[in-house]
Amino acid sequence: MAPPTILRKRKAATRDVPESSDVESDAEFGDGLLEGILSQSEDSENDSAEEGSEEEEDEEEDDEELSGLDSDEIPSDEDEEMDDENGGLVKNNGTKADEKDSNVAQPAAEDDEDKPNYRVTTDANGGVRYEYDEIDPVYDSDDSDAPVTTNTIGNIPLSFYDSYPHIGYDINGKKIMRPAKGEALDALLDSIEVPKGWTGLTDPATGKPLNLSQEELEILRRIQANEVPEEGYDPYPATVEYFTGIEEVMPLSAAPEPKRRFLPSKHEAKRVMKIVRAIREGRILPYRPPEEREEEEDEEVHYDIWQDEQPRPEHVMNIPAPKMAPPGYDLSYNPPPEYLPTKAEKQAWESTDPEDREKEYLPTGYDSLRKVPAYDRFIKERFERSLDLYLAPRVRKNRLNIDPASLLPKLPRPEELKPFPTVCSTLFRGHEGRVRSLALDPSGTWLASGGDDGTVRVWEASTGRQIWSAKIGDEDAVDAVRWRPGREAVILSAAAGEDIYLIVPPIMDPETETISRELVDAGFGYATNATQPLTANGQRKDPVAKWARPGSRLEDEGVLLKITVRTTVKVISWHRRGDFFSTVSPTAQRSAVAIHTLSKHLTQIPFRRLPGLPQTVQFHPSRPLFFVATQRTIRSYDLQKQELVKIIQPGARWISSFDIHPGGDNLIVGSYDRRLLWHDLDLSTRPYKTMRFHQKAIRAVKYHKGGFPLFADASDDGSLQIFHGKVVGDMMENATIVPVKVLKGHKVKNALGVMDIDWHPREPWCVSAGADGTCRLWM
Amino acid sequence: MDDQTPQNGTRQVHVHFSTNFPDIELPEGKRQLLVPTDVRRYQLSQILNSESMLDTPAPIPFDFLINGTFLRTTLDEYLTANGLSSETTLNLQYVRSLIPPLYEASFEHDDWVSCVDVLSKSSPAGSWGNGGVIPGQERILSGSYDGLLRVWNKSAQAIATSPSASAGGHTASIKAAKFISPTQIASAGMDRTIRVWKYTEAEDHFSAQLKPTLELYGHKGYIHSIDVHGPSNRILTASQDDKIGIWTSVASSAPEAPSTLLPSALTSKRRKLSTSTSTPQRGPLSLISAHTAPVQAVIFNPLDPTVAYSCGQDHTVRTFDLTTSRNVDTRTTSHPLFSLSALPGISSQLLAAGTTARHITLLDPRVSAQTTQVMTLRGHTNLVSSIAPDPSSNYGLISGSYDGTCRIWDLRSTRHGTKEEGSGIVGESVYVIDREVAKDKKPVGGEGVKVFSVNWDVDLGIVSAGEDKRVQINRGRGVTRPEGV
Repeated sequence: MAPPTILRKRKAATRDVPESSDVESDAEFGDGLLEGILSQSEDSENDSAEEGSEEEEDEEEDDEELSGLDSDEIPSDEDEEMDDENGGLVKNNGTKADEKDSNVAQPAAEDDEDKPNYRVTTDANGGVRYEYDEIDPVYDSDDSDAPVTTNTIGNIPLSFYDSYPHIGYDINGKKIMRPAKGEALDALLDSIEVPKGWTGLTDPATGKPLNLSQEELEILRRIQANEVPEEGYDPYPATVEYFTGIEEVMPLSAAPEPKRRFLPSKHEAKRVMKIVRAIREGRILPYRPPEEREEEEDEEVHYDIWQDEQPRPEHVMNIPAPKMAPPGYDLSYNPPPEYLPTKAEKQAWESTDPEDREKEYLPTGYDSLRKVPAYDRFIKERFERSLDLYLAPRVRKNRLNIDPASLLPKLPRPEELKPFPTVCSTLFRGHEGRVRSLALDPSGTWLASGGDDGTVRVWEASTGRQIWSAKIGDEDAVDAVRWRPGREAVILSAAAGEDIYLIVPPIMDPETETISRELVDAGFGYATNATQPLTANGQRKDPVAKWARPGSRLEDEGVLLKITVRTTVKVISWHRRGDFFSTVSPTAQRSAVAIHTLSKHLTQIPFRRLPGLPQTVQFHPSRPLFFVATQRTIRSYDLQKQELVKIIQPGARWISSFDIHPGGDNLIVGSYDRRLLWHDLDLSTRPYKTMRFHQKAIRAVKYHKGGFPLFADASDDGSLQIFHGKVVGDMMENATIVPVKVLKGHKVKNALGVMDIDWHPREPWCVSAGADGTCRLWM
Repeated sequence: MDDQTPQNGTRQVHVHFSTNFPDIELPEGKRQLLVPTDVRRYQLSQILNSESMLDTPAPIPFDFLINGTFLRTTLDEYLTANGLSSETTLNLQYVRSLIPPLYEASFEHDDWVSCVDVLSKSSPAGSWGNGGVIPGQERILSGSYDGLLRVWNKSAQAIATSPSASAGGHTASIKAAKFISPTQIASAGMDRTIRVWKYTEAEDHFSAQLKPTLELYGHKGYIHSIDVHGPSNRILTASQDDKIGIWTSVASSAPEAPSTLLPSALTSKRRKLSTSTSTPQRGPLSLISAHTAPVQAVIFNPLDPTVAYSCGQDHTVRTFDLTTSRNVDTRTTSHPLFSLSALPGISSQLLAAGTTARHITLLDPRVSAQTTQVMTLRGHTNLVSSIAPDPSSNYGLISGSYDGTCRIWDLRSTRHGTKEEGSGIVGESVYVIDREVAKDKKPVGGEGVKVFSVNWDVDLGIVSAGEDKRVQINRGRGVTRPEGV
């Protein structure tokens, strides 16, 4: 067992013995020689040649070690290692310890720094005997290299024991029995379940299968991975700065300045003299003649760094010089006509910001060069150039690049909001002069219209056929026609001058006609019985209105009742139940607004005093509210409590008309100052939306009352505009208002276009009355 | 045939000619032909008329159908559009081409003409009569807004005029009138009554008499449309009061008239137009109030007189079982419907309804049909007031509109609609007939040119009436059927 051990030891120590050396070659080296080599190679610092005996040498070494231990640690390490190895030897070859006693003892002695690690006693023969201390396996002592002393049979081949059941003896002299070899099956199983570290070899020393330990496997793995086999080895440790590279400022020497520092240099003097001589002789001119310099200043040299630039392939590192576009035709003083901007282009160019302009100039044509004016941008351009040269930062207008379309609210396209009226389907022609007012009856069958010719006409709405007409205003125009709401009776109300007429046109079946006539006549009797209030003088006050038969001529035509008030009536507005209607005569001072009760033939003046001229009135579609529009404001009154509820201020200068959404919470207002205003009654007294799409005054506005979210306005510019105005039940959501269609067709006569408008009760159709004497049905 | 060598670059395609008409059928060997692909309908028609093919004495214009649709492009474009190679054999079905209907005559009236009906051998009324109609003695009935019915012969002579209001005639405008039989006429209008007239002609056929035989009361609104069925003496009316009336033209079997609706109920002097002639006054057999808005048109199912269809402003087309007066089926469209006509020729019977949205919707009225809207015919610029089927073709119809035109449609001439039109199949008109008084004029709102009624008869042609106070006759002779057949 010894030779491999020695081999290993030597390997670790010298590193220059080839690994291939085998047992025989090992055996040739004597122990002493070996030690000598060891000591020589390791203690290379010792210059002194060691010729003496090994012991001397060792002693010397020892001394040196003792003295130079502090300064140099590496040798001591080596020594220790060697010492360990020797120690191992002692252990290993316990049987032959004697013959090597001296050999062994000295290295061991090196180990201890202060005292020898042996005691000298006398042995049984009376000779000197060294008794060594037990080696304390401290942390540093590496015992891993020592082979496990398991078999102590010595250096004989194991084959000698082939015929015995044991393979040797342990340190106690007990036989080491040959380990039981598995059966063929076990061998097979072993070969299948290869245990970790299995090599398939048998350890010659123990006869057991030679398996690699975990550490050995790890080493193998590292070698295979081309790593350093040693674990935890850092090939790149952080450098430890043993010597500083910083130069000290303080001079180390206090020597005085050498003399030569103070003495003028002869060499320099020589050179100076040489120059002086040259100047004297005129070989060197101390300055340039001034006139020459002036000349040079005049001709400045400009370098064009891109002068001879060759076109190069595009590359990041090569940014080609910006090429100036050659002047085009449009820069000419007299460009071809196609280059000259049109009026629209000119306007567009002028309206855009100078920064946004595509071109900085406008192509302009001059007949001749002498007519070309001075360059007007000269000062500006020079100034800019100067600023550029100064690298003057200038505030650049930071333009947000936002598509204007994206800023618009997302409105549905008009096509998606169908149906709405788009084309004129029927024309109602017959009126002479303007048609001032029109209305579709609650069933949508008949269209009633009244105009400047003093006639009221009823038309079949779908065909445009005039069915009935009556001349009610001899001098006056018919200002308002309205049907009584409700389908059980057909009663038409019309206002001409100071008279309001209630008409049952003979166009319906006898049953309905009878009902209608009865409704109109029901109030007779009430009016006569009503006591008239007395004035202060005790005289009977004039009644505010007179209810009477209009005369047999009109009665035959179906005009059944005439209500005469004091001034011209301009507006009629019915309550939804059909019993009340209200009229407005804007010129009347106090009795401007009158409420008439059909069933009692009674006229009442609800307001004694109104702020401003009342324009139009309307009953709320569901609540007992009454809206009165004056020129500037719309006031809503509670008719039951007789109080003012709200004042709506659309902000228009002169309200022409308004309409209440059938839901009752919204209001549209049209004004003579071209505005159409949408009010949310719950929201505010100010308009929710203002629309100014018309060129001229808005005459009439109207909501569709039959379920379509539509409203329309009529303007003096001869057009109607149809809007989609969806009111949602949700209080949080605002109404969507989308203009969907402009209906054009009415001609403008005497600055008047469309006078009135009405919606079909069910379908998305509307009718309009024009100043051109026609009514139109749009569907 | 095959010896035609392909000329420089023009491709050729094999076509196979076929037809449903035996009189213009090609002999067996001539049906296959190799034709260049750049030919159109006209060249194909010329080829067919050539000596080697049909050898017709006078050229017959043909139209060609490929896969049930008319060829309106060159063959090449058709092949490209349908992704066909020129190797395929095209099956060309040829039919006599529609000849543009030519203006023939106008019958002038004193007032707007609201309705027109035709009595001829092939008209329904002609077929219901006992004696039939003598050829050449076809009659045209027109009802006018002046409240008078007129019967015209073919030479524009009004051979009979109904009596005035005081003599038992209509007290207001007539909106619908129909022949029940060659001797009986029913009319209705804005006076809410239906009047049945006895029509007797003199021996020489140059004068005739209209005698009121029955007044029917029951509607409370204008009567927009009337349809009759002669064999069962039934009259159907569609009224503004949302109701459909079923009436009989036989006085003895009609119930009493509702007294409140009689003109005598109104004790006004003005209404004292009381009829000196004692015409029996009767009421309706039944009034069906299924519609929720004014009913605009009602028709009998031409194949089954116990079934009626109606359409109205409430956007619906309703099917009624007349024996029980029950609303059997309701189809809702998206627009108010103003006119209705049945197209019985097609195996699946179709209804054509004219809308206020300026198109005609074709509907399948069968209960089992899944899709309500089969096809849309677009082209009118105002509401469609009247529709009549082509009497001689299964695929044709004519419509009259407030825009002053009558349009002839062929259901085979279709295309796929664009998205704006709501996709589906869209038809386009084949011919447009303008009013003769206002040619090339497009008055706003159809003022003065509105067509109120249109009728298409085999013998008389296309008869239309309108706001121009005329009945206009356009002759589409040979339009859809061969001459002299």
